[in-house]
Amino acid sequence: MFPISRAIFVRYLLERRMKILVVEDEKGLAESITDYLTKEGFICEVANTFWQADEKISLYRYDCTIVDLTLPDGEGFDIIQTLKKIAATTGIIIISARNTLEDKIRGLEIGSDDYMTKPFHLSELNARVKSLIRRRHFGGNNDMIWKEIRVQLAARKVFVHDKETLISRKEYDLLLYFLSNIDVALTKESIAEHLWGDHMDSSDSLDMVYSHIKNLRRKIVERGGKDYIQSIYGIGYKFTAP
Amino acid sequence: MKLLQKTSRIYLAASLATYLVVGIAFYWIIKFIIYDEVESRLMVEKQDFETYIRANDMWSSNSYFVENKIEAHPVFGKFKNEVVFTDTLIRNRYEESVDPFRQVSFYTLIGGTPYRVSIRKSMIESYKLIEAISATMITCLALLMIGMFFFQRRLSGQLWQPFYDSLSKIKNFDWTRNEKLSLTRSEITEFNELEDVMEKMASKMQHDYKSLREFTENASHEIQTPLALINARVEQFIQSKDLGENHTYWIEEIYHAARRMSRLNQGLLLLAKIENQQFTDQEEVDLSDLIKEKMKDFEDIVHHKNIRVDFKISGSFVQLMSQSLADILLSNLLNNAIKHNHTDGTITIEAGEQYLMISNSGSVLKGDPERLFERFKKESTGAESVGLGLAIVKQICDNYDLQIAYNNTDLMHTIRIFSAKL
Repeated sequence: MFPISRAIFVRYLLERRMKILVVEDEKGLAESITDYLTKEGFICEVANTFWQADEKISLYRYDCTIVDLTLPDGEGFDIIQTLKKIAATTGIIIISARNTLEDKIRGLEIGSDDYMTKPFHLSELNARVKSLIRRRHFGGNNDMIWKEIRVQLAARKVFVHDKETLISRKEYDLLLYFLSNIDVALTKESIAEHLWGDHMDSSDSLDMVYSHIKNLRRKIVERGGKDYIQSIYGIGYKFTAP
Repeated sequence: MKLLQKTSRIYLAASLATYLVVGIAFYWIIKFIIYDEVESRLMVEKQDFETYIRANDMWSSNSYFVENKIEAHPVFGKFKNEVVFTDTLIRNRYEESVDPFRQVSFYTLIGGTPYRVSIRKSMIESYKLIEAISATMITCLALLMIGMFFFQRRLSGQLWQPFYDSLSKIKNFDWTRNEKLSLTRSEITEFNELEDVMEKMASKMQHDYKSLREFTENASHEIQTPLALINARVEQFIQSKDLGENHTYWIEEIYHAARRMSRLNQGLLLLAKIENQQFTDQEEVDLSDLIKEKMKDFEDIVHHKNIRVDFKISGSFVQLMSQSLADILLSNLLNNAIKHNHTDGTITIEAGEQYLMISNSGSVLKGDPERLFERFKKESTGAESVGLGLAIVKQICDNYDLQIAYNNTDLMHTIRIFSAKL
């Protein structure tokens, strides 16, 4: 045991990239998640079964674990409980097809940080993983900086060229979502769901996405920032360097 | 009517009828026996009288003694050879009363002249006897019947006790819970058989319910996972730089169809869960309060569409229900009111003691108002709408015995929910 954990420890110290374990029995979905998160700069590992996951969490340390509740050979809840005993600092996000309040409450009670119902957007998962890691490692007190835009997370303030820009709550959420998914095409629907949850299913919410994006764009440009929000016809938007 | 009451009533009616019939029959039988006795004695005296006449051929009547009196009257030309028994009343000489007598009349020849002879006997003693016997018998019978009645009542009460115990246990039995139905055994085979059957049925119900529940959950899981995969693959696909307009269109269609299917699946699953009464948690929810709270979730969209929202809350609408269902109920109603509203429209939310009303401006309802709460009845053909929102609302109302009604005046649509108890 000792040499392995020592080796892991050294590797962890040398590499600053965050490590994520994806526990998901549907191989295609696991592959999608790891592909997406690898592009975002994470190191991802996959466990397709309960026992694989059990083995991995006892051998290695991860910054974040994404756990599916229903596995062919066990319950995701048991993995979370083991994980909490071995490595309490690991962030845990549950992804499940089960949408009951009991499952959500139970998940939070045994120490998971987030609960996402399938089907979810990869961009949303990515944003949540990043937010979770930020909270875990910096207590949410760091800034998010991209080019001339700086977001003070603790104060919920946005600066462009170090000048404060007053933006609304939803515009702030939108900006943060973009900053978590730089260079990624985001669908209008995933943005709407991120901002208002899934209780709103009307097409009005897509109009609202449009108007919020218009406002955010205007406010950044007004302060001398560049227009980074690029529209993708028929799909949505992408936050990227022009 | 309760079983004991019913049997008591039948028993009471039957015993009363029997009592009357037996009483009357008894009276007539005694009367018949006594008359028979008196008449045979009269016949003996008639024989004595005839023997005496044959020997002496004369009769001197002494009419002073009323009892055992023999009267002979001469008759002319009306001689009939018949013997007749009659009842007669004769005034009591010393008391102001008339006494009953039984008399036998017949015709005979005394000294060659036809006479009509009447011999009578007092019935006072006999009547007293009839009365005494009847009274004793009737009292005894009555006491017996009353005794039997109460005995039978107590007995059946005790006999049926295990049945009532089981009944109350069955009434309190909830098949959505895991507790088994266990009934107490009694000495009576029929009850035990019934209890066996009930227990078997109960455990079958619990088993079926559980497997149905598992099935709906599994079905949801099985469908949501491939949908999640489609979603994820679409999201990955749209990241490619060289998407043509055609590709974008197709991928958008696939994406929308998958999202709709997911919503549909979730909606149907929710409906099934509500129908199966899987939301068993209950607490007192003040819907008037909750709707104000829920409206905050829709602030952005209301602001965006410039809809004016008026609250007219005059009292609290407290309903014992599941918190999550209350949330779903109000969210769906508000969503509906906003979705079918137009820019610069209005929403009026009125709530008071045991009722809640949500009115919204909107265009003319195209479909049948009666079928508004049915599944897959939707006004718009928008891809985002799956037409389950109001069906879910209706199902939740049905679960908690709440009434729901829709009406419209001009372009205002109102949905009213109220407690059925009022």
